[in-house]
Amino acid sequence: MPRETLKIVGFLCNWCSYAGADMAGMARMRQPDSLRIIRVPCSGRVDPLLVLKAFQEGADGVLVSGCHPGDCHYGNGNYFARRRLELLKRMLPVLGIDPGRFHYTWVSASEGARWARLVEEFTGQVERVQEAQPNLKIQSRIP
Amino acid sequence: MNEFVQTIKQTFKEVDLVLGWVRSPAAGVAVPACFHTPAQADDAVFDSTCMHNLVVHLPRLAGKKVGIVAKGCDARSIAQLVAEHAVDRSRVIVIGVHCPGMIDVKKAWRCFGFGKRISDAGGRVAMEGKTVAREEVLLQKCRGCRDWEPVICDVTAGGATKAATAPPAEPAGIRKRFAAMSPAERRQFWQDQFSRCIRCYACREACPLCFCRDQCAMQARDPGWATAAIDASQSWMAQLIRISHMAGRCSGCEECERACPVGIPLMLLLEEQNAVIEELFGYRAGAGPEVKPPLLTFNIKDDAWGES
Repeated sequence: MPRETLKIVGFLCNWCSYAGADMAGMARMRQPDSLRIIRVPCSGRVDPLLVLKAFQEGADGVLVSGCHPGDCHYGNGNYFARRRLELLKRMLPVLGIDPGRFHYTWVSASEGARWARLVEEFTGQVERVQEAQPNLKIQSRIP
Repeated sequence: MNEFVQTIKQTFKEVDLVLGWVRSPAAGVAVPACFHTPAQADDAVFDSTCMHNLVVHLPRLAGKKVGIVAKGCDARSIAQLVAEHAVDRSRVIVIGVHCPGMIDVKKAWRCFGFGKRISDAGGRVAMEGKTVAREEVLLQKCRGCRDWEPVICDVTAGGATKAATAPPAEPAGIRKRFAAMSPAERRQFWQDQFSRCIRCYACREACPLCFCRDQCAMQARDPGWATAAIDASQSWMAQLIRISHMAGRCSGCEECERACPVGIPLMLLLEEQNAVIEELFGYRAGAGPEVKPPLLTFNIKDDAWGES
């Protein structure tokens, strides 16, 4: 599957990662356009169900990014997020979703270059997984 | 009058009603019952067909002082509800019983035929001449039981000795097949399983920890996580809402799977999730009424999982 048709959903916290992605954009850094960014107040806002919903609706990959642990704008949102997202990551193989389709990470507002690299890497990873296991979308019809 | 009935009767000094079991005259197995007076408690029984988790009724009886007969696993559900402040500890008298390991009545009926008195003695389960080994008709959760001693208990009312606990079962049947599946097969497996879901919400109703009732996200129109359509995709989402909301809360009582009219193996998901929770946080739901559930808190030193 060509990279251009991949659909990757990114949940980015407003304070660090979104600003980091913005910085990458302002610096004109090349990055794949497969990522659709959704800005959320905090990575603690990212209910694991949002990730599952994205997969149910046919997303090929989901990326969650927040402030570095210790740097949360709200003090501890990303600590809660970390527990939930790690649990989700380990549950994905049980659901038959390759854990390579999901990644959570921490990117600060000053890490524009790192952001661009990360999107590039994750897109490549999703691309490889997609080749091995296409048709992730849960079909609506009754078999 | 036996000691068990006597214990229940004594608790009426403190409570408005007691949840327990009576023997169904038609089927010869225990069925849940609510005793409002000491006289009604004359019929109370506790045997190896008392598989139901009566804790499901506790959050609905808020405002009443309730006595409840609880096996070790049921006590875990109570402890979890108390830890979440969903049940007021001071309004519950837990009558703890030592469980001999419960017989899966459906399995037994499949072996023997419906509606005859099941007897259970000396490691064999028997009905009208036919007998099978106890392990064969035991509930899945009772194999390798770790909860013989109730974690929360006000009055003890006897029961079985610990020696009766059966060893953990080797994965068999659907568990064995599932363990061997590739990711693509698993995805297809869950799609097929959830395509059979008729969205009756029996799993939710039977679950002692699903106490949101009217606000249930499985059914809510706003936010619309999943529509009510009988459709594999929507049911997949709806079921995962419940599984996800059970994270760190499910004590593995198997009531959802037992209640499911189409036999979706929900416990496969919940068991895996419980195993992950135990591995990550060293926590089993219902560890105690004072223990903070792991997803309601955090630890700065959680970074050993290797996130980048």
